[in-house]
Amino acid sequence: MLSININKTLHGSSGEMDLDINIKIKEHDFVALTGESGSGKTTLLRTLAGLDDAKGKILLGNDVWLDSKINLAVQKRQIGFVFQDYALFENMNVEENLLFINKDKDLASKLLNITELSALKKRAVTTLSGGQKQRISLCRALMNRPKLLLMDEPLSALDPKMREKLQNEILILHKEFKTTTIMVSHDPSEIYKLSNRVIVLNKGKVINDGSPKDVLLKTTGSAKFSFEGKLLEIIKADVIYIAVISIGQQIVEVAVSQEEMKNLTIGNTVNLSTKAFTPNIK
Amino acid sequence: MSYITAKVTHIDTFENINIVQFISNEHSLSMMSLSVSDKINLGTKVRLAVKPTHIAIAKNITGSLSYSNQLDSTITDIQNGKLLSSVMLKCNDIDFESIITLNSSIRMNLKVGDNVIALIKASDLSIDEIIDV
Repeated sequence: MLSININKTLHGSSGEMDLDINIKIKEHDFVALTGESGSGKTTLLRTLAGLDDAKGKILLGNDVWLDSKINLAVQKRQIGFVFQDYALFENMNVEENLLFINKDKDLASKLLNITELSALKKRAVTTLSGGQKQRISLCRALMNRPKLLLMDEPLSALDPKMREKLQNEILILHKEFKTTTIMVSHDPSEIYKLSNRVIVLNKGKVINDGSPKDVLLKTTGSAKFSFEGKLLEIIKADVIYIAVISIGQQIVEVAVSQEEMKNLTIGNTVNLSTKAFTPNIK
Repeated sequence: MSYITAKVTHIDTFENINIVQFISNEHSLSMMSLSVSDKINLGTKVRLAVKPTHIAIAKNITGSLSYSNQLDSTITDIQNGKLLSSVMLKCNDIDFESIITLNSSIRMNLKVGDNVIALIKASDLSIDEIIDV
């Protein structure tokens, strides 16, 4: 069990904010940490890693990482950290990056096998693609067999295909190494696929905490098929209207009656929903 | 959306499917749903919603229909376009709208003041919000 009860004042772009977190995370859980930027997600990860200090207590099982007397150093916390920008040692080759953490060559080759990077182990990291760099960063984070794996938006810089591949590898490694994992992510499909618990932060506080389905299924009333979008245009068509709405990277059209149209304002964020019985799947 | 205020009178559940019964001004209504919020119980007052394009209209019907929701209504206004017809309906105190094809509207000779039955499938009725627990 990882017990976190910390308090810290942050100086964000929108003024001072209290990061005030009191949560317990079960061993081997995969927790997705999400919320708007500036909500304290990265600070929470850095505090867990020992890169930032805070008031309060952090306990992993019976080991004290932080309390009023102790503030355990980063290297003594049994953590692995994966950053968004890889943070590899650029003067070293792939294998050296891993062995720098721990001289265990067997473990290094096992990790490179799982991530299909064995053929590249002598390559300079500067010659690799973003996806390859992040896999090395992930392998390196596991070289000291961490109890806690922390990942700060590890896949956000990668294209969708590479993202999906790495999601699978992250899941394999999480299970193989039996880590407790906390990952910052904004991608609902990624959160749903990887995590068994989602914690949503807003302005330094936990505002939602539950299973991915409970947290991510944005239901209003009994509608199960629900999205937020932006109303771009309303086009008159006979006695009804067509509302053009952007959702993510897509544009959709919805037929609305004159009565329904009266409450709509172009440019506003709208909730688009229908019942689970209506959509077609092909 | 057309809205109907109603009170939950019965919930049948089987394998994640629910049939929720409501009463609204003596009219009973029925909704098909996947999981229902645990805030919705017997006696809960809700606002039901249905898309105007999901409301059919019947006149002088005989025989039986599978529509779970059949509301005796009066036509209060009709706006005919080139292809579609927007029919405003009143059932007791509830105003709602049906969008049908102009052909149907003409074929049925729909006029303001006509007594008709508004038909809504249980799967097209949804809970928009909980008004009162």
